[in-house]
Amino acid sequence: MKSYFVLIFVAVFMPVAMLAYSIVPKRLRGYVLLVFSYAFLMIMSGRPVVYLVAATLITYVTGLTMGHFQARRDAQLAEVKKGKKAIKEACKRTNRWVMVAGILLNLGMLFALNYLGFFAQVGSGLLSLFGIDKTFEPPLWIAPMGISFYTLMAVSYLVDVYRETVKPDRNLGRLALYLSFFPHIMEGPIARYSEIAQGTWEGNPINRQNLYTGFMRIAVGFAKKLIVADRLNLFVDPVFDDFSLVNGGIIALAAVLYTIQLYCDFSGCMDVAIGLGCIFNVSYPENFRQPFFSLTTSEFWQRWHITLGSWFKDYVYYPVSLSKRVKRLTTMARKRFGNKYGPLLVSSIALFCVWFLNGLWHGAGSQYLFFGMYYFVLIWLGGLIDPLARSLATKYGIDRDSKPYRLMRRVRTLLFVFVGELFFRANDLPSGLAMFKRIFTHFSLETILNGKIFNIGMDPADFIIAGIFIALVFARDYAYEHDHNLLAMISGKNAVIRWAAWIAIVMAVVIFGAYGHGYIPVDPMYAQF
Amino acid sequence: MRDQIIEILEDINPDADYETCTTLIDDRYLDSLSMVSLVAELEDTFDITIPAVEVTANNFNSVDAITKLVERLVEEDED
Repeated sequence: MKSYFVLIFVAVFMPVAMLAYSIVPKRLRGYVLLVFSYAFLMIMSGRPVVYLVAATLITYVTGLTMGHFQARRDAQLAEVKKGKKAIKEACKRTNRWVMVAGILLNLGMLFALNYLGFFAQVGSGLLSLFGIDKTFEPPLWIAPMGISFYTLMAVSYLVDVYRETVKPDRNLGRLALYLSFFPHIMEGPIARYSEIAQGTWEGNPINRQNLYTGFMRIAVGFAKKLIVADRLNLFVDPVFDDFSLVNGGIIALAAVLYTIQLYCDFSGCMDVAIGLGCIFNVSYPENFRQPFFSLTTSEFWQRWHITLGSWFKDYVYYPVSLSKRVKRLTTMARKRFGNKYGPLLVSSIALFCVWFLNGLWHGAGSQYLFFGMYYFVLIWLGGLIDPLARSLATKYGIDRDSKPYRLMRRVRTLLFVFVGELFFRANDLPSGLAMFKRIFTHFSLETILNGKIFNIGMDPADFIIAGIFIALVFARDYAYEHDHNLLAMISGKNAVIRWAAWIAIVMAVVIFGAYGHGYIPVDPMYAQF
Repeated sequence: MRDQIIEILEDINPDADYETCTTLIDDRYLDSLSMVSLVAELEDTFDITIPAVEVTANNFNSVDAITKLVERLVEEDED
């Protein structure tokens, strides 16, 4: 079993987990989910979960230590009438060190397991620049599945305890389940402790409404992943692997199809995760909100992988841009460059940190760092140009809310996104640059017009099926964008219509899913990050 | 105080109706770049410190919420 998208998960793991959850007393249900979550991770990754156990214990002890100092501070505050501020400050200082220690231990594991090889390579490269021939050979540790996701969740918990927006959890089982719950361990959503910890542990019974909503969401996820994403992979993979054999038109098409593949793959996985959560009464935050309707690249990232973006915003962007040193810089910059451009210039420091880390989080590869820097430049320039565009529009009487103007902005944003995804998917940065160049130097539509496109991986039937289901995915997004919640509408109908709709989606997956003979199973794409 | 806050907001983004809007963050009238400007302006104008933990949608979704936050921080500073 390598993902949710296999029969053994749907036909065995899920029903057994639901059955076990339902038959045990309420107070034990959290433990049942914990056992199934660890079993899921062990089956999926095929190795012990020692790193997750270590991360959980570190996070637990760090949280409790901060809680201890907070309780001691409260006791001291109750006894004194003066000097309260000093007591508060002292506690904050101590807890800051405790928090930093907990975060560094968690990030240290992530770094050692995910990035050591990459930085050893970078180190060797730097030394060779100075004529020193030294190759670092770090131990070949294999990063455990889900580490990038649960590490961010652990860090958010520790910061929230430090900020006192959540109380340190005394229940080790609940904290362990928060980090490991099987719907999110593979690809997120990167939920906050305050959002899901209580819900996962409470053990409320599975009810009919949640069961239907959950099953429906899971079926939609399967359709996106198996009908669209895995089918498009047949075309995308060969083009990116052997791009020198195809012309620029095909490369451009592959960049567009890869973007759609990634969307259907990742958002499909999120549908399954959110659906599974729903069955067990856990409300996960949404991770996608119709990203292709964004007017700007900045907005795109508020709609695509939302939980990662908001994690970086809350735990990197604001802490950096509102730190004392950066605030001092902001004050200076405001005096020199004015209220609009001054803060913008200084916030570029925080924005750079966010996008450098965002790139690095996706993987230890030059293409991912380039991807991060690409969005840093685009979003920063967007912030710089927007006030100018606004005043130009006012000056020339252009209605920024008119449909053609909004459409133009959407198309522009999509083009930026397609280029970004081309670099993201490229095997490495030189390949990405060569592919981008080839779009212009070898542009031709010949392969598409003479039908040779069907030799690349997808036959005409694959294109037709993919086309129809992509249209359905976007029609659903269009409806959501215009406040028509299709799922809620179907849920409101009678049982026959509701289950007929579910069966129709399941049948579509069974008939049109890109699995079995002639197809290659594709692991969920974000599970590798 | 409320009028001063509206003035600051209008200078940052004139597109929203600040008297009625209660979704300044949710509907992206204030993005993360403009939030830095807003926080800097509020801190200067009211002589307060707004820590990162206070920069949430709940505290910045409407002029009323911002006013409440500023009032609270002014009070805390006086403590």
